[in-house]
Amino acid sequence: MKHVSLKETKDQKGQTRIDFKMVTFTLAGKDYGIDIMKVKEISKASKFTFVPNAAPFVKGVYNLRGDIISVIDMRIFFNLKAEETEGDTENMIILRLDSHVISVIVDSIDKVVGISSEAIQPPHPLFGDINIKYISGVVENEGSLYVILDVERILGDEEPGDGRAQESRSTPSISSDAPFEARESTVPTTASAVKEDVDIGFIEETLITFLSFYSSPVNQEWIRSRFSSWKKQKGEDVQLGNVQDAEAYLSPFPSPFSGNYWNSDYAEKVTSFLPADNTGNFYVWNPGCESGYESYSVACLVKNRLPDVHLRIIAHDNDLIRISTAPGLVVNQASLGGLYDNFLTNGSRGKQFNKEIKDAILFEYHDITHDNTLPKLDMVVMRDTVSYIVPDKQQHIFNTLEEVMKPGGLLILGAHEQPINPGAWERLENSGVVAYKKK
Amino acid sequence: MRVEYINPFVEAAYNIMTEVLQTEVERKDLYLKKTTQPVMGVAALVGLAGDVEGRVLIDMSQDSAIKIASTMNGEKLTSMDELAKATITELANMITAQAVTKLFDLGFKFDLTPPSIITGENMSVSDANVEALIVPLEMPQGLVEINVAIRERA
Repeated sequence: MKHVSLKETKDQKGQTRIDFKMVTFTLAGKDYGIDIMKVKEISKASKFTFVPNAAPFVKGVYNLRGDIISVIDMRIFFNLKAEETEGDTENMIILRLDSHVISVIVDSIDKVVGISSEAIQPPHPLFGDINIKYISGVVENEGSLYVILDVERILGDEEPGDGRAQESRSTPSISSDAPFEARESTVPTTASAVKEDVDIGFIEETLITFLSFYSSPVNQEWIRSRFSSWKKQKGEDVQLGNVQDAEAYLSPFPSPFSGNYWNSDYAEKVTSFLPADNTGNFYVWNPGCESGYESYSVACLVKNRLPDVHLRIIAHDNDLIRISTAPGLVVNQASLGGLYDNFLTNGSRGKQFNKEIKDAILFEYHDITHDNTLPKLDMVVMRDTVSYIVPDKQQHIFNTLEEVMKPGGLLILGAHEQPINPGAWERLENSGVVAYKKK
Repeated sequence: MRVEYINPFVEAAYNIMTEVLQTEVERKDLYLKKTTQPVMGVAALVGLAGDVEGRVLIDMSQDSAIKIASTMNGEKLTSMDELAKATITELANMITAQAVTKLFDLGFKFDLTPPSIITGENMSVSDANVEALIVPLEMPQGLVEINVAIRERA
């Protein structure tokens, strides 16, 4: 349920700078919002444990995965008419306030709306249903007017105990606001850290939307470090409003020589990780090979270092157009450097790789998130591939690797990627180029 | 699935369908399916052996199958009778045979098994550890999916 939150916001992205997100819901047919930073999660539940002698708006307590939290019925709390949900499950918003976690029941939960905090207007003194001091503002979005509730004031700090809430319903301006002012002054330090987390969270969501780039332990370190340079470049306006922004954000991500043959220098560094001698079969898996540049580069460097092995490269991609051109890829460059010279022949359409190299590579149209049938592998070249796969499939792929790679097998990931389970790999480095050796 | 195998199947399916039905056939985007897939109602199956192992499945709804069989026979068929079944079986045979011929020209050697036909509701097909390439073809008689699951012999 939590995930709904960030996704929904992209619709609004284009229009304004979004720095405030709220979960919207309805109470007695009217729209309300709560700051998303206060919302822990959303859930549905029924059968609350009744607490005797509690205030009428306390619906009871609820066991949230082992934590007992109290459940407040917002409608009764605000003297609104409760929708008949007899025997049905209730919609709950679980709030994480400064002091405790509490759950509120609302009529229906709508979605997450992203707005610019500048658009929030102060509440009008004539507001009826809900006491004005519990309202932090009003905002208009796509034709709907949302009343933003200040949940810290409503439920925070003091228990939403009998006295206060009762007062709130009957007499509008009695209780002292002193404790709230004190708390507000402590907020900014944590708020900036939280804001950065939120900003990165939005960026991660946007990267998924625009470029199917998934944040995960594989690339999180890079996303964070990239965020600080991005912030320097863009100032306050860090959000990615469109595909171009997203592409700009990811522009430093691709590994060296993506979509091209590796140059001799890079190939040499990778070669240095290979075992010095090896005979027999040498199996390489190259998922996400695209048009095959990477596969040919790897074939040449392995053959150069280990001329006697029986090399087999299994190259996979799920982009049919790209991989279709791979088996007949021609070399347009005048020279690719010494590494490749021995392996090129002149074909009818220009220079091509010789039979030895071509026979070593098997290009397959295959989706690696499906089952992978692979031999025991000596090497895996998977640069900038897993980052574009949904995280639970990433896990699946790393599990596959741990299963099918020989001990001592070599894994080459993208320049800004790392394995999900670092414990299973030994990190090797040669002047900036990194490989992982299976333990 | 090996890239070189894809085109022969797509071309063969398209050529044969256009030829036998004498109609406009629209090629849709190819895609890969996971191992277990629903089958639409009538499935003609041809096994492959040789350099590879696997099978080709020509999959369509019963309604489309009857219409296609009617067109191919030049007479109106109303049910999935023996003639209709034989016709669809033959269609599968023609498509696979032409694909295999094209593949042989490229240097791959495949053998075929005799086609068989399976009909029924709510069927699904699974192939251990092979994903299937789906070649959807849309024609006035309905949708026909050529479902190819083959892998290199280990």
